[in-house]
Amino acid sequence: MSVLEFEEKTVEDAIALACQEFKLPREKLEIEIVSKGSSGIFGIVGAKKAKIRVAPKELSLDGLAERGKEILTEILRHVDLPTVIESELKEDQVCLNIISNGTGLLIGKRGKTLGALQHLVAKILHREVGENVSVIVDTENYRSKRETSLTELAQQLSEKVKKSHRSLTTGPMNAQDRRIIHLALKEDLEVRTKSKGEGNLRRVVIYPIRRGKKPQPVAALEE
Amino acid sequence: MTMLKELIEFMARALVDNPEKVQVSEIEGEQTSVLELRVAKEDLGKVIGKQGRTARAMRTILSAASTKIRKRAVLEIIE
Repeated sequence: MSVLEFEEKTVEDAIALACQEFKLPREKLEIEIVSKGSSGIFGIVGAKKAKIRVAPKELSLDGLAERGKEILTEILRHVDLPTVIESELKEDQVCLNIISNGTGLLIGKRGKTLGALQHLVAKILHREVGENVSVIVDTENYRSKRETSLTELAQQLSEKVKKSHRSLTTGPMNAQDRRIIHLALKEDLEVRTKSKGEGNLRRVVIYPIRRGKKPQPVAALEE
Repeated sequence: MTMLKELIEFMARALVDNPEKVQVSEIEGEQTSVLELRVAKEDLGKVIGKQGRTARAMRTILSAASTKIRKRAVLEIIE
């Protein structure tokens, strides 16, 4: 990002101006003092303005993971629950794992609470760094368990579709869950999958592909 | 109960461009508390999010936090 120079009566004033300009707190700015400035004699003779050079701090991916951890810790501090958070980077994704007493409070129905935490951390990180960061929040291995059970569900449904030659629809699912279904049936050449519906009611439809007919090109994979 | 208020304050401040304009007031009832969130007009969209997703996320976290202390809390975003 860009480097800007600021001139003000004092270094403090210049920094304040820079913060305003970048809309960032002081800790997130790389500040280089070019000249400290002096008020001269009686503030008239030989007064020199303070000059600083400022650039927003580039957060490394490790820094992002660390910051994500801080944000999540701060949110959970207000939820009266003792928690420890581990942060890790997996293929440019910030993975945050919450270690807690395992009551499921932080998971919620079908991972609703976990999803909410994930959304907020991603949103806050995005605002701070100005680019989209992919964040995964997990606890008690919920995500991998969910993936296993959804993959099983996808396979069962696809068997039924193949037997009955009729399409079947899953329950309403969020994008992350739908993606798992699509991916689970991607290799299956006898069925194809497509998401249908709006907003919260979006679900996956599994269609049979009739024999004799040319197989459809790659199944729709929007997510 | 101030903990819930602080929770909303923290989340809202982290989401908006004008954190100094974030105000949360709490109306405490016997079982249910109502938390009223006020933000600068231009930040309204930020706390609501696309199709209300961010507002919903805040409400979900709020209800998890209030369940823990055996209370009910409702988040109202005041225009």
